[in-house]
Amino acid sequence: MPETYSAMNLFLDFSVIGILILGIWLFRWPHRAKFGNLTAAFALTCAAALILYRSGTQYPYIVLLSLAVGSAAGYWVAKRITMIQIPAMVAFQHGAGGVAAFSLSLAELMRGTLHLGMINEISGLFGLAIGSLTFSGSMIAGGKLSGKLGQTPRILPKHTWLVMLNLACIIVLIIAALYAPAGSRIFLHIVIIFLSILFGILFSIRIGGADMPVLISFLNATAGLAAAFCGMIIENKLLISCGATVAASGSILTHVMCKAMNRSLFRVFVPVEKSPPKPAVDNEQNRVADPVEKETQHLPVEKNNFEKAVEIARKANKVIIVPGYGMAVAQAQFEVIDFSNEMLSMGKEVKFAIHPVAGRMPGHMNVLLAEAGVDYDMLEEMDIINPEFKETDFTLVIGACDVVNPAAIETDGSPISGMPILLTHESKHVVCCNLDDKPGYSGVENPLYKNSNTVMLLGDAKETVRKLVENLSESSSAPEESTGLDSLQDNKKSQADLAVTALSSAKKIIIIPGYGMALAQAQFKVAELASVLESMGTEVKFAIHPVAGRMPGHMNVLLAEAEVDYDKLCEMDVINPEFSQTDAVLVFGACDVVNPAAMDTQGTPISGMPILTAHDAKKVIVCNFDEKPGYSGVENTLYDNPKTIMLLGDAASTADDLLDALKA
Amino acid sequence: MTNLLLMAGVFLFSFVVGYFLISRIPTLLHTPLMSMTNAISAVTILGVLILFSVKSTATEQIIGAVAFIMAAFNLVGGFAITDRMLRLFKKKEKEALE
Repeated sequence: MPETYSAMNLFLDFSVIGILILGIWLFRWPHRAKFGNLTAAFALTCAAALILYRSGTQYPYIVLLSLAVGSAAGYWVAKRITMIQIPAMVAFQHGAGGVAAFSLSLAELMRGTLHLGMINEISGLFGLAIGSLTFSGSMIAGGKLSGKLGQTPRILPKHTWLVMLNLACIIVLIIAALYAPAGSRIFLHIVIIFLSILFGILFSIRIGGADMPVLISFLNATAGLAAAFCGMIIENKLLISCGATVAASGSILTHVMCKAMNRSLFRVFVPVEKSPPKPAVDNEQNRVADPVEKETQHLPVEKNNFEKAVEIARKANKVIIVPGYGMAVAQAQFEVIDFSNEMLSMGKEVKFAIHPVAGRMPGHMNVLLAEAGVDYDMLEEMDIINPEFKETDFTLVIGACDVVNPAAIETDGSPISGMPILLTHESKHVVCCNLDDKPGYSGVENPLYKNSNTVMLLGDAKETVRKLVENLSESSSAPEESTGLDSLQDNKKSQADLAVTALSSAKKIIIIPGYGMALAQAQFKVAELASVLESMGTEVKFAIHPVAGRMPGHMNVLLAEAEVDYDKLCEMDVINPEFSQTDAVLVFGACDVVNPAAMDTQGTPISGMPILTAHDAKKVIVCNFDEKPGYSGVENTLYDNPKTIMLLGDAASTADDLLDALKA
Repeated sequence: MTNLLLMAGVFLFSFVVGYFLISRIPTLLHTPLMSMTNAISAVTILGVLILFSVKSTATEQIIGAVAFIMAAFNLVGGFAITDRMLRLFKKKEKEALE
């Protein structure tokens, strides 16, 4: 081929690269970007035409048919999806790119074992590995983003080690494949593909929630890199050049996302153990010294079991939760975590006791609770937790039977005699959320159920725990606010009135959208609100934090969909000085990106993260779903600010209420 | 060896030029940018065309066809969706600017 590479051909190659670069260059201006996109598409079409002209094709039917199938599917999906599905769609497309890259590498390696040079062969093996991990990583990312998989990170036991081991195997196999006899190489190639697919899964499943933008940007970079390696096998400059450009773009986006979240790429992929504020240990000893309370804490018999359980939960200081297979069957792990969070927010100490054989596989419960976002410092092994039951006020058993059956130690000759159990019966109160009071798998009656300090809540565990959480949050918030439910609603109403007054008197308003707006699909309402405010003579701008949402520029796309003029969408650095001259800030579903704790406190996960300084404005109206912390888990001090008005609930309906009030 | 140097040169040159071009792109357009670069990474379709320019075995044809379909999906889907997204970015004083 080099002989035929005339100056003309070289010139044509570089012209195509030039057109492509022009396309990317046009992305600097929003109104030219559309043309830039078409320019880039044109460049690639030219490149394909050039190759067909130069070398023709042996299989026109395969080419035409594949082109028709692939393009039709791509076009159909692109026209059909809604903007909220974009992140998932982009992820799935990265996956398709990964498949293309590793298939091409495989085909070239199969053909070329005779005439490929060392460099080409190494590139081919890298193309295989990177293409495969891009494929599987993107599928996981796409699954998470489209809601088909849980959004929370899944952490396997020894996850980091598994990842390292997997990576080491891939490297060893790549080296082996270089020196293996030609006949057996194909086998090694296929093993490399499978191991790389596994690797992609392993590193992406432990990333979730607000870290998704980093993952998706990273996969963007690897897709480009895979394409560049494909180019190196066949020594095609166009492929290398395009691949490298995409890799550069993905790297920049990854870097921007990491910087905006104040995390290093390494920390996103290998999360550090979260250490929550642990309750002081000596408190426990005080409680032990007061065993009389156990006797005096008699509950009125006439109350039904459910009310009893709520009361026990409210009075308890130290809580242990014992999950069993029943929790898995009822898929109640998320409710259980809600419950644990509720208890934690009430200042109680919560731990999970994990029996080695709870569930249907080793570590089953850990995986489920990890899925639900548990802090794994709270998961305790049997031997460690057993001495603590004596000092525990309240043990919540969820769908576990045999592993908490005292008959195992009290009786002889039963199938479970001598089996180590969790000593739940030693705690002051036990609440069992099991489906029924029948014996478990072993068939041995559970005397725990008959104990005087046990409260049975039979039925679907998911439902039971959910009701428990609801009752707890009501009974805990009511006394704090020292108001009944009615005045609570009055309070909410007056907050809305305050918000409307603030908005209608404001001259300058900044709107801050966050992922909550995307979830509530509130962008149209928000855009309408903005135009109503503008028609009242108010200056309205939007402040876009770089990591708001689930992918770079997510908020911009949503607001563009709602026909917001993009001149009004301001970047963080540009808008931040303007907050102090702003009369009112409207926050829609954003939390961490407006949390002043990032600037005020040290040592939290968000310390040092750049934020939108909404707290500088005269009034802040927060339209969030709840006032819980965002993904970082750091309480938002903005919510407690006296100039903040909280409008909790679905962002779309809040925006609707504001619209109605403003129009009236 | 010269081939290796040439390829490494093309890679580095594109990476650096890409880096400088893309770091100037406003965050406003990061989603469409990612979507477009994603479509560009389907440049592997050219590789498949080159693969098919000489006689191939049946296995190679099948693998090549899979790669072609995926790359075409990525290419057409990526550019189409970027176009759709970019059409959403509107500006009121469009006439004034032109």
